[in-house]
Amino acid sequence: MNTTFDQAALEQLVQPTRINKQVYINPEIFELEMDRIWGQAWIFIGHESQVRKTGDYFTTNINHKVPVVMVRDKNGKVQVLHNRCAHKGAKIVTSRSGNAPGAFRCPYHGWTFSHDGNLLKIPNESGYENTGFDLNDSCNNLQPVAQDNYKGFIFATLSSQAPDLKTWLGGTTDCFDNLCDRAPEGEVEVAGGVLRYEHDCNWKFILENLNDTMHPMVVHQSVVQSAQAYISSLDTDDIKQKAEAQIILPFGASFENFEESGITGFRYGHHYDGGKTSIHADYSVMPEYHQAMIDRYGAQRTQEIYAFNTHNTLLYPSLTIKCAVQNIRVIRPVAVDKFIVETWSFRLKGAPDEMLQRTLLYSRLINSSASMVGPDDLEVYRRMQEGLASNASQWVEMHRQYGRDQQLKDRVRGGGTSDLDVRTQYQAWRYYMLGEDYA
Amino acid sequence: MNQAPLESIEAFLYREASYLDQPDLESWIQLFTDDGTYWMPAMQDQPDPLNHISHFYDDRVLMEIRKRNFIHPRAASQEASVRCSHLIANIRQAGTTKDGELIVHSNFHVVMWYREEQRVYAGTYQHHLQTSDSGFLIKHKKVQLINPEAAQKSIIIYL
Ligand code: FES
Ligand SMILES: [Fe+2]
Repeated sequence: MNTTFDQAALEQLVQPTRINKQVYINPEIFELEMDRIWGQAWIFIGHESQVRKTGDYFTTNINHKVPVVMVRDKNGKVQVLHNRCAHKGAKIVTSRSGNAPGAFRCPYHGWTFSHDGNLLKIPNESGYENTGFDLNDSCNNLQPVAQDNYKGFIFATLSSQAPDLKTWLGGTTDCFDNLCDRAPEGEVEVAGGVLRYEHDCNWKFILENLNDTMHPMVVHQSVVQSAQAYISSLDTDDIKQKAEAQIILPFGASFENFEESGITGFRYGHHYDGGKTSIHADYSVMPEYHQAMIDRYGAQRTQEIYAFNTHNTLLYPSLTIKCAVQNIRVIRPVAVDKFIVETWSFRLKGAPDEMLQRTLLYSRLINSSASMVGPDDLEVYRRMQEGLASNASQWVEMHRQYGRDQQLKDRVRGGGTSDLDVRTQYQAWRYYMLGEDYA
Repeated sequence: MNQAPLESIEAFLYREASYLDQPDLESWIQLFTDDGTYWMPAMQDQPDPLNHISHFYDDRVLMEIRKRNFIHPRAASQEASVRCSHLIANIRQAGTTKDGELIVHSNFHVVMWYREEQRVYAGTYQHHLQTSDSGFLIKHKKVQLINPEAAQKSIIIYL
């Protein structure tokens, strides 16, 4: 068996209309992806509202291994630091979030570091005199990770050569703008906690499923039909029950409906479906919220904000956004056949509490590991992971509407049921993995 | 105070557990009041189910949809059968709610077999039980896992 993938071998794996199964099941490819994709792309770390006060921190991994901590320093700036003591490497903090009053103090030998990572003090410092150790050498600080943010969404990269964040985000900045615009005060904040969901399969499956609009009416047929069956068992005056059950129904939207909403792809693997319309276009608007929006933006602008109706946006490889729902999912690979998905929800500042409650309801009904939607998605990913062990074929195909994608200046447009989303991702895969630049 | 014989509470909780073990969701739902709720918070000491995310927060509407989905032939995740063994202990009464329902705390261990894998869940239950001549009904059931913040695998049945 061939166990090393040189450039030529890697190139063969990703072809215009098909992907070699090794990309999903081979542990060596996984390590290469961690190094080249997750080691070069901007990775979503968190939102600045998760660290409000000096010393507030939030920990995560930037890929399957490297632990980092996002922290608010005394100047109010959000830092992303390697979560590794400069002395002997102990993790500085292990809680998911918390506050480090005054400074970070390593629990092993008590070195202290300011919130921007600078070494402050070493206990019994005299032992270092005349040893060649330099207290002021920056290598003795908590090491910073390159970071930047767009509208409070903090990204970091392990690469020193990444394009600047705004360039990298490209046209997807419209989605962050729209998410913030949906707040009467123009800003969002993380609220209502997180759901963490373990997936026993390759990390790319969820990204490739995100705008796979050929799947909902099949994978989610059961829950849609169960909701419909329940609704038709109700009396006409059971209005409340009906309204609640209806949140499930968009998942049964027709192929035509999805085709109509279109997919738009960008550089670096990003894309969204919808834009003009989406399966969430008919979400009813709460009157109190609507009034707050009109007061802030006026009627016309408010309509424009609602009308930018993307369903799912992917910021390859680590973040997906639902603007109309105000939740995001954060991806973290663990191994070739394992990753974690976190679902975070946002409060629209200036909107009534019911808006956040609706976002949380959505997250619970769709993204929870105990929902009736997420587990059916995961089930089919796992079946791919298991099925691809077969040697019946080496290939996974992605021909849908191949050759029909429409290249525009900074984006590619295609039909809502095309494989454009997958093609966009594998162009980025080749960019990161093979160093193949964009035309 | 409003108390009930412990044996009757035990018998009721064991019956509930047996419906979930089988699983028989149809009968299980009948143990709830019409406005009954089932809640599995996603954190320790979660103050409420609406302003913070939960793993589950089902009312009758969702229970009714889940019951149908659970036996739907096209639900891929339900193709592998799920089998549970619920063990309930340390049952104690903890007063009454302001509406007069009995508050009952218990500890649980659930061993679940699903998709070629055996898993263990543990934590505490809190039941709010409405009493009537015909026995108890569940007004509210809260499942507090010992690890609600952990990344969970698919949970396709009530615990
Ligand atoms: S490892 Fe941190 S102070 Fe020694
Ligand atoms: Fe899905």
